[in-house]
Amino acid sequence: MQITIDNKNIEVANGETILEAARRNGIDIPSMCYAKEAEHKSSCMVCAVKNMQNGQVIPSCTTMPVEGMQIESNSKEVQAIRTMSFELLLSDHRADCEAPCSMVCPHGLDVEQMLLFYDNAAYKKACELIKGAFSLPAISCDDCKAPCEKACRRGNIDQAVSIRKIIKEVVEMFDVTEIDAADNRKIDKKMFQSRLGRFSDPEKQHLKETVNTKSRCLHCACAGKTDCKLRVYATQQAIKRPKYNVTSALPIMDKIHVNGNLWFEQAKCIRCGLCVYNSNNGFTFKDRGFGMQVCIPEENCNHIDEKLAELCPTGALYRVNTH
Amino acid sequence: MSSCQCENNGKLSQEELMTKMDAIIDRIGTSRDVIIPLLQEIQNEFSYLPSEAIERIYEKTEIDRAQLISVSTFYSQFRHIPYGKHLIKVCTGTACHVKGASNVYDSFKRELQMEGDSITTEDQLFSIEKVACLGCCTLAPVVQIDDKIYGHVLPGKVKDVIDEFIEEQDNQTSTESQHKKNLVKGEIRLGMGSCCQASGSADIYKELKRTSDELGIGVKIKSVGCVGVCNKVPLIDVVLENGTIKRYPNVKAVEIKEILHHHFKPAGYLKRLKNNIINRVDTYHTDTTWDNVIWKPENERTGLIDTFLESQHHIATEGYGFLAPLNLDEYIEHEGFKALKTTLSSYTRENLIQDILKSGIRGRGGGGFASGKKWEIVAAADGQQKYVICNGDEGDPGAFMDRMILESYPYRVIEGMIIAGYAVGATKGIFYIRAEYPLAVKRIKRALELCREKNLLGKQILGSDFSFDISIFEGAGAFVCGEETALIASIEGDRGFPKQRPPFPAVKGLNGFPTLVNNVETLSQISFIIRKGVESYTQIGTENSKGTKVFALAGKIKNGGLIEVPMGISLNQIIEKIGGGLENNEKLKAVQIGGPSGGCIPADLCDVKVDFDAFNQMGAMMGSGGLVVLSEKDCMVDMARYFLAFTSEQSCGKCTFCRVGTQRMLDILDKLCSGQAQMDDIDKLEELAINVKQSSLCGLGRTAPNPVLTTLKYFREEYVEHVNGICKTGICKDMIDFVVTDDCIGCTKCAKACPVDAIPYEPYEVHHIDTELCVKCGLCIDECSYDAIIKVKKGEGDKETR
Repeated sequence: MQITIDNKNIEVANGETILEAARRNGIDIPSMCYAKEAEHKSSCMVCAVKNMQNGQVIPSCTTMPVEGMQIESNSKEVQAIRTMSFELLLSDHRADCEAPCSMVCPHGLDVEQMLLFYDNAAYKKACELIKGAFSLPAISCDDCKAPCEKACRRGNIDQAVSIRKIIKEVVEMFDVTEIDAADNRKIDKKMFQSRLGRFSDPEKQHLKETVNTKSRCLHCACAGKTDCKLRVYATQQAIKRPKYNVTSALPIMDKIHVNGNLWFEQAKCIRCGLCVYNSNNGFTFKDRGFGMQVCIPEENCNHIDEKLAELCPTGALYRVNTH
Repeated sequence: MSSCQCENNGKLSQEELMTKMDAIIDRIGTSRDVIIPLLQEIQNEFSYLPSEAIERIYEKTEIDRAQLISVSTFYSQFRHIPYGKHLIKVCTGTACHVKGASNVYDSFKRELQMEGDSITTEDQLFSIEKVACLGCCTLAPVVQIDDKIYGHVLPGKVKDVIDEFIEEQDNQTSTESQHKKNLVKGEIRLGMGSCCQASGSADIYKELKRTSDELGIGVKIKSVGCVGVCNKVPLIDVVLENGTIKRYPNVKAVEIKEILHHHFKPAGYLKRLKNNIINRVDTYHTDTTWDNVIWKPENERTGLIDTFLESQHHIATEGYGFLAPLNLDEYIEHEGFKALKTTLSSYTRENLIQDILKSGIRGRGGGGFASGKKWEIVAAADGQQKYVICNGDEGDPGAFMDRMILESYPYRVIEGMIIAGYAVGATKGIFYIRAEYPLAVKRIKRALELCREKNLLGKQILGSDFSFDISIFEGAGAFVCGEETALIASIEGDRGFPKQRPPFPAVKGLNGFPTLVNNVETLSQISFIIRKGVESYTQIGTENSKGTKVFALAGKIKNGGLIEVPMGISLNQIIEKIGGGLENNEKLKAVQIGGPSGGCIPADLCDVKVDFDAFNQMGAMMGSGGLVVLSEKDCMVDMARYFLAFTSEQSCGKCTFCRVGTQRMLDILDKLCSGQAQMDDIDKLEELAINVKQSSLCGLGRTAPNPVLTTLKYFREEYVEHVNGICKTGICKDMIDFVVTDDCIGCTKCAKACPVDAIPYEPYEVHHIDTELCVKCGLCIDECSYDAIIKVKKGEGDKETR
């Protein structure tokens, strides 16, 4: 079957969608709710293209081509629609890509990652990170004005995490000279940054009551910070700031332990439903409209395969391996 | 449906609950696709979905946790917490909204002392909820308590309604009438649609029975379907022995005796004499009969109704005013099922489809797709099994045509459906009816039984080799299920997520088989086309829109009601001739047509003819046919906000543009209506609207921006005013204050009426309103006889009164 995409003739293989045909021919169309070989239903509309014959905007990930179809995938109009779909998704996305503390450390310590090791009692790993950032781990923080603690989101709730104290505590556990230095992840400041924004009073109260990590850290950083499609595409689309009011019906920072190393955080979900369609009596939709959520009933947690995390386009469903 | 059985709650033992649950499961089934009927039955039994009952479902059926959560939280019918003994449903449909439904809701909550978010009274006697539309738009504002509907419930009447309801609960004694032996000729016809009953027709019916017993007049009392003239009901037609009809609109119970006596003679001579004397005494000595209807000349009584009917054309509602909805013999007597007989005896499927194509009939559900074309596709599609679905999921706030047709003309819809089934080669039909329409469900259920008895349904219909049967599926409360693919998903036991088309349901629909989905009104016109011939149908209407269209005429109109007009009539004609102009002689501002998918047509364009394409060109839409008349006292920005609030809540939530886009539009509209918007918000709103319209995947999202786009197109200056903090109509509460002017004489009526004591009781002094306390319910304005309370721009109250 022959179709044209952006005036280029393309031979479509049997059973191929427009998106698949385009990608096979080197035409890049972004997509989020689509996953090859997995059940999916178009919902995010970031793969929007225009059918030039009837002027309709269609999702290329599920639309089957028809002989002679003329598709436009890169016009200004199509780009504008894609940008808007990202902007809309981001307006419903109350979450941080990067933890503010890690962003501001003058020495480049991935503070949040260090605290994650600390909270999981992987002190040696925490110490390795510290050594990777500081030439003199025992005293480097002494003269610092601690922008990390000023930036700490926990400070908006009650008191910032005592990051410097924890660093000292960790360093004192070991003979630092014996510890290997580990590389800290370098934060690419050119990447799009989603920001959580302000907490409401009930949220403050809730987090105060429920976050009980040893360090008191909220772990704002997203598990999908490097491979989240939403972030990657938003960077590509040169989106800087949210265009619309950012409000969400989803609970923020609510980290649900699914099983093993698998975790789920609703606030980062774009409701594409990939985890719903590809788990049997596992994840499910709840409610409708703007308040629609993807959730996992407690009873269903056990039979979720860890591999499901690979389908999630954002950092909502993720694996953590701290040890 | 909502009859509550909370007496049992709490006291019901685990064992009893299990027994009941098992009985329900045995009755309904255990497969995944029965989940909606199963949950409906459970809710009927326990008034909500108790968690123990749900656990039983997991144990005994194929339905799992993921499916149950997904489905039970999608449809608004299902409740997860126990409700009070009686449920108050406050209609927030379009017509009710423009007449102040939100104030009514607030008043109920205040009166029943429900604090904050609570929706149930402390004593568990009442629960309250807002519903999208009760379909009694002409009686707006409407409230339903359990099964009883109350019309014209203004905030000031809320207390009376509650009292009346409680009183009725206390003395529920039914007086059954005795059987008549000696029936006289002639009959009395009384409309008994849902709306008619809401305005007291049920009481009139009882009174008719009682009085005719008392007087010994054995006249047949017949309840007929919707009479259309909603604000003239209760409406009685007295058919005399010689066949002439005497009509009495707005009949009161006290007048029944008089009317009966006037037209009919009691059986025995003595009784006649006695009645005669008593009657005369009554007539001269009581006030109640002084202004009696029978003293008025016939044309004065019914003049209005005649103009109401003059411009109408009854096809879907043929038999209007005399057909008893469930009387099958009578329907057959009036050429009912003649079209079916003709079809089965002398039409091939091809000829039939050709005729429907030639008739030019287009789908009445909204889109206006050529029905014949749809039939042709389904007929041509491959499939061992084919279905015909009658779409009666009329969820538009402000529309009640489908309910009326189903309630009043069940056989006509059934006939249309059987013919459609024959044409496309289907063997199964399904009525999809909103659960909010209990009377329609009941009547269709009964009508189907009666049809089966007469072999109009079932195996080898009327001796032909065509077999077809119909079942009923009750929708569970989701506007999006009016969309074909979502409707099918819900029958299959899923969330009402629309599917991407193609494949169209006509090719791959219910359970993967070719499925014809037609609207109630479309099907109700089919028998006319066959019976009277294609040409008599094509004569009616315009070039591209043939036949008639049923509208629910409501809003600020004198004579609202259910009307059926030929296509091509202008909106102005409808408003002036049929509707009798605007109530209180207010000035026409716009007509909202097509509900949340349609738009507002401004007054100066109301000479537009009723026509699918003409409406589309204006940015509006025929939709399913709600026609809400708006006056200069209505705020267009508020209208747009109202509809967006509806669609964003009704969005299924699947796609970004509809789920998030409509919410962002609503955010901006909320800002506009509270005076916090900036000028660039209007552009942002417009940009969003255009994109949501273009990039949504189903009909809901594609049409949801229409109310915004049309109001922006025709009433942009009002948006600008709102940015500047002005709402001229005073509808947007956050932008106004109530103040008392110097015209006040200090009568204290307002102070007594104020529900929140914002007006201190100071006799003989000019009252003042504490703006901090005032909830702007408007009760004081209604009460004041001197027009001394006015709305002013927020914060400018002092300036005004000084």
